[in-house]
Amino acid sequence: MQIKAVFKNYEYLLFLGVFLILLPIGYALDLVSVNTVSLWGRYFCFAIAAISVDILWGYTGVLCMCQAFFFCLGGYGIAMHMLLADKGTGVYGAVIPDFMVWNQVDTLPLFWEPFYSFPLALLTTLLVPLIFAMLFGYFIFRSRLKGVYFAIITQALALAMWLLFLRNETLLGGTNGLTDFKTLLGFDLTTSTTKLSLYLLSCMVLVLVYWGTKKLVNSKFGKVLVAIRDSESRVRYATYRVQNYKLAVFVLAAVIAAIGGMLYVPQTGIITPGRMEVKSSIEMIVWVALGGRGNLKGAVLGTLFVNFLYSIFTSLLPGSWLYVLGILFVVTVLYLDHGLIGLPAQIKSIISNKRTSKL
Amino acid sequence: MRKTKHQLNVFQLLFQVMIAAIGSVLISCSTPSKKTETKEAPAETKTAKIGILHSLSGTMAISEVSLKDVVEMAVEEINADGGVLGMPIEPVVVDPASDWDLFAEKAKELLIDRKVSAVFGCWTSVSRKSVLPVFEEHNGLLFYPVQYEGEECSANVIYTGATPNQQLIPAAEYLMSPEGGAYEKFYLLGTDYVFPRTANKILKAFLLAKGVPESNIIEEYTPFHHQDYQTIVSKIKTFAVGGKACVLSTINGDSNVPFYKEFANQGLSAATCPIMAFSVAEDELRAMDTEFLVGHLAAWNYYQSVSSPINDKFVADFRAFCKKNGLPGGDTRVTDDPICWAYTGVYLWKSAVEKAGTLDVDKVRPALYGSTFESPGGLVKMDPKNHHLAKPVKIGEIRADGQFDVIWETPGLVDPQPWSEYTSPNKSCDHVNHGGTYTKM
Amino acid sequence: MLAQPDEMTSQLISKDQALRTQALEKLVREKKIEHFPLISAINQKRLYLYDQQLVTIGEPIAADRSDEYQVLKVYPDTKILRNNQGGVMAKKRAELTEVRFSRPARLILLPVLPYVNLVSPKLETRKLAFVQFQQNGNPEDLKILSDARDLENDNYMSRLATETILSIQLKSSKITEKVHSLVDQLVSNQGDNTAYILEQYLEQIPKSHPSYSYILTQKEDLEDRASRIALIQNAFSGVSLGSILIMIALGLSIIYGLAGVINMAHGEFMMIGAYTTFCVQEIFNSISPNSSGNLSFFLSLPLAFVVAGAFGLLIERLVLRKLYNRPLESLLATWGISLILIQLARSIFGDLTSVSTPFVLSGGWEVIPQLVLPYNRLFIIVMTIVLVALVYFFLYKSNNGLRIRAVTQNRDMSACLGISTAKIDAMTFFIGSGIAGMAGCCITLIGNVVPDMGQTYVVDSFLVVVSGGVGNLFGSVIAGLGIGQLTKALEPIFHAVYGKVIILIVIMIFLQFKPKGLFPAKGRISED
Repeated sequence: MQIKAVFKNYEYLLFLGVFLILLPIGYALDLVSVNTVSLWGRYFCFAIAAISVDILWGYTGVLCMCQAFFFCLGGYGIAMHMLLADKGTGVYGAVIPDFMVWNQVDTLPLFWEPFYSFPLALLTTLLVPLIFAMLFGYFIFRSRLKGVYFAIITQALALAMWLLFLRNETLLGGTNGLTDFKTLLGFDLTTSTTKLSLYLLSCMVLVLVYWGTKKLVNSKFGKVLVAIRDSESRVRYATYRVQNYKLAVFVLAAVIAAIGGMLYVPQTGIITPGRMEVKSSIEMIVWVALGGRGNLKGAVLGTLFVNFLYSIFTSLLPGSWLYVLGILFVVTVLYLDHGLIGLPAQIKSIISNKRTSKL
Repeated sequence: MRKTKHQLNVFQLLFQVMIAAIGSVLISCSTPSKKTETKEAPAETKTAKIGILHSLSGTMAISEVSLKDVVEMAVEEINADGGVLGMPIEPVVVDPASDWDLFAEKAKELLIDRKVSAVFGCWTSVSRKSVLPVFEEHNGLLFYPVQYEGEECSANVIYTGATPNQQLIPAAEYLMSPEGGAYEKFYLLGTDYVFPRTANKILKAFLLAKGVPESNIIEEYTPFHHQDYQTIVSKIKTFAVGGKACVLSTINGDSNVPFYKEFANQGLSAATCPIMAFSVAEDELRAMDTEFLVGHLAAWNYYQSVSSPINDKFVADFRAFCKKNGLPGGDTRVTDDPICWAYTGVYLWKSAVEKAGTLDVDKVRPALYGSTFESPGGLVKMDPKNHHLAKPVKIGEIRADGQFDVIWETPGLVDPQPWSEYTSPNKSCDHVNHGGTYTKM
Repeated sequence: MLAQPDEMTSQLISKDQALRTQALEKLVREKKIEHFPLISAINQKRLYLYDQQLVTIGEPIAADRSDEYQVLKVYPDTKILRNNQGGVMAKKRAELTEVRFSRPARLILLPVLPYVNLVSPKLETRKLAFVQFQQNGNPEDLKILSDARDLENDNYMSRLATETILSIQLKSSKITEKVHSLVDQLVSNQGDNTAYILEQYLEQIPKSHPSYSYILTQKEDLEDRASRIALIQNAFSGVSLGSILIMIALGLSIIYGLAGVINMAHGEFMMIGAYTTFCVQEIFNSISPNSSGNLSFFLSLPLAFVVAGAFGLLIERLVLRKLYNRPLESLLATWGISLILIQLARSIFGDLTSVSTPFVLSGGWEVIPQLVLPYNRLFIIVMTIVLVALVYFFLYKSNNGLRIRAVTQNRDMSACLGISTAKIDAMTFFIGSGIAGMAGCCITLIGNVVPDMGQTYVVDSFLVVVSGGVGNLFGSVIAGLGIGQLTKALEPIFHAVYGKVIILIVIMIFLQFKPKGLFPAKGRISED
């Protein structure tokens, strides 16, 4: 029933039509370059992260300013695996990754070991954000930190982690991060086929995550989340254990963001601490805010829209794009109550208001 | 209920139109379809497109904007002179916004969609590392104008900045020589990122090889934007008490002012314990309070104060260019080492294109080997094999007006060594016979 | 009529490198006090040739930046050159021929420099000279040094001079009893380097020396004292960092308490204050280059308040007014504003700039020997105390403050009672942002002025507000001091970065017990 309902909706068909059929066909006919295909693949990874922000902020009312950190945890995990899998192909030809050689480290640190085999790497990459979010979330939600307090604590966490990853002592490549990946599961990352497959994979994962979270927010669990957002104390009086719900959704969001990061890195070719700056976390929130918070469609739309503009404007208006995006953003926050996705409804209500006033 | 919610209405249609619009924009705007390509094809024969990949916003903008300006100036000069191969050069400026991921994205865009013949760009090591796979995959040509850590030898990058042996080693040699003060103790201080780490690794290996005991070398790193140098300077003070000590500094950007201030506050001076800086140039000194820096040293391949007719003209032209185009700073702008080599890069590319008679990267590359250019910093020569530039090394002393006095200079050109002989004695770089990095037998 | 240059002059200006070196060596050998101005000019690279005379340049003549200087003759005699009318001669640097010496040539002067520096008018240079004498340890210098000591009237300097003399005497003395008394004198002199001098001496003498153990205990006592002083110094740094955080958190806290807006652009108001200071200094510099620094800084304090406050007012009017009761949206909007402000500063001012410390605030207050509290940091602490007091009196003793508190407690009720909440909001924003601007002005005393300087402190100040209790003045003060203290206490043990992580953990643990901060807002303020 649910699936049928999904396909009754034109937006979904259009989305799938454009991105799963039109774009690959366009590529096959050489109308679209492989660069554009991977670009959209990367936007999809951001959209996955944006969905995680939306279930936290849009549905539960928890503004988390460290989603980019979880995104990067996923990214670093897969990057570590790729570096180890390609061992010996670096500039130095050493078993350990290049950056360790110039950092005068001779043996592989212990925490890198699990990333040799792909299944184990995958598992670790998902488990690390899960456990981290669980521990952090447990203490934070237990003390009933919420709203602005929660936002600030997570912001401080993002800052501290960013500083930590910048250090060379953490053995994760410092400022330069991890780069120079050659293969993933034996597939050469430079070939167009791999790029297209990664694009399709990202698109499908996005669809899956969307479908899953949509089901989740429409379930009873989701209704409780919305209730928490609207009035936490009333939910608590109704004997719901609010912190457990919050913790569950926080952990889920962390894992979803990490999945986004895992798909992002092979398509980008580099992961640096710059991606986990406080700024990037806020950017993710901005995508959701622009698209329309509390609406999964809005989160996806906002992400694709903002990132697309970012790519276009940095080339077309290299000097002034920041002002354009900044003002656009402030205007959206000020005037579009429900983001881009709510724009049609807003216009409708304005028109009908005018009509009624005329009458 | 559900049915009515999903019923199609005018406004959902509007939303779909929006998605469709994005879709169409995506196909028509960001990607050249075959049709537009054929349209552009005759245009392409008329102009030679080059990409400029320098951050114009974000943290690196402070340094990188000047490089964008000087490349545009070189392009304007060449175009006024008839262009290259009879075509005017068309610079394509993009803003990678100090976002390392965006550097890779923009590099792809320049090479694939904009089809530029060469790219002039990057400053930080991480931005270069980010675009490197892109250039190698699409066989592009990147002119990289900043001094860097070496240990890299890509067929698709022309490194016009200094290699470690063109900056670090001569500076250390100078300090150890009787002329430089015959210093015996070395404090290696840097910001924690790849250039200082590698630089200090090489310096340490060099000093040890020259018989400096390990106890006379201290290595230390601070995070980016570090402001509080109290503890470190008092360490230096203790270290310098016996005399004959100097500091080799790879401190980056805004940490320099607090460091030099604290250095002077604690009673250390250039006469007793000079600081040799590898990352402080005129552009950084432009608006700094130089009071505390006077007398300290720096090692570069070019200074604005180099006296030669070519440099005088270069400095004057750059000021006039900035003033004419209303760029911030106007005619008070200064030139420095990376600016000089960014400018030189454009001319090296131009003469190679003219020698090759084509814009094709595979033909331009060999034409670059061994080519020479009378740069503002003196005559320089492309290495015949390894994509780096042979150039003189100059030691400068900071003046109160933020300029440098050249106090020492290598007698001739110093050949570039991407792999330092002190840390990787058996490695070398040769694109003619070995196709890049190879191990010496 | 041109005067014929004397031998020294002609040697110094000759093209022949060997002759010039000879001349320099002669200067070093003779070590004559008459030559010191010349040596000093060579060393500072300010030696010029004018009318066949060796001259140097003195003070700039005019207050503007016309690059005209007094011309001082340095050899063979010293005098201020006068023009035909008998006034002071003014020359541009370009009108004089510079007599250049290479760095190696200047290094020839190194042995004589301590003597030259000893009579320098600059305190720092004299300090350097004494340290150099200490290192040389030459008994022949004792006479000069004791003469120089008599000239010093600064407490610190005479101590340094005494220390230098004693250390040279100690190194050269052979008699055991003498050693004992010299060490005692050194210790009671309380110089900076005493522990090091004793350590050096211990290495010099055999362990069997009768005074060995005595000197060792003295040295260890001194080192203990030094580490205690370092502890106090560190605590002081903690207080000064804490007071910066308090200053920023003060505005943040008031605004949040009143309007429920976490102002992400707050750090940028600080930046605006800092740039205001910079601009004021530039304006003063362009009017009169000499008198700047002192007055301009103190003038820019209120100006920074007004300018940053005006910006805050503007943003409140244009943007935030529409977002009250929507705290998370306002958080995002202010973040967007902060981006725009940073970019704006970047395109206007571009490079990193710095403000020179006013003369009265440079140096430090010597509480006891070796414990020096820098005036600039003291000033910041005093400023913070004054600001906190002012804000306290404003909020709790004035009518407007009463209104602000009323609106903070219950906006609707206050509006019903006839308080113009819009006016109160505007006022609060003006004051909150203005305080941030003043904080920015103070920070120019210790750091750079860069477009993203606000970001450095603002996350920490958020933590101050959160752990102090939002909207609570004293909570912010205590939390600010605590976080500042903790940061500085952790810094020597851990690296600054790991220190930050630990502080975050500490705050998280703290919030387990006090989820609403130190002093949570009391009363029936509804949660949802």
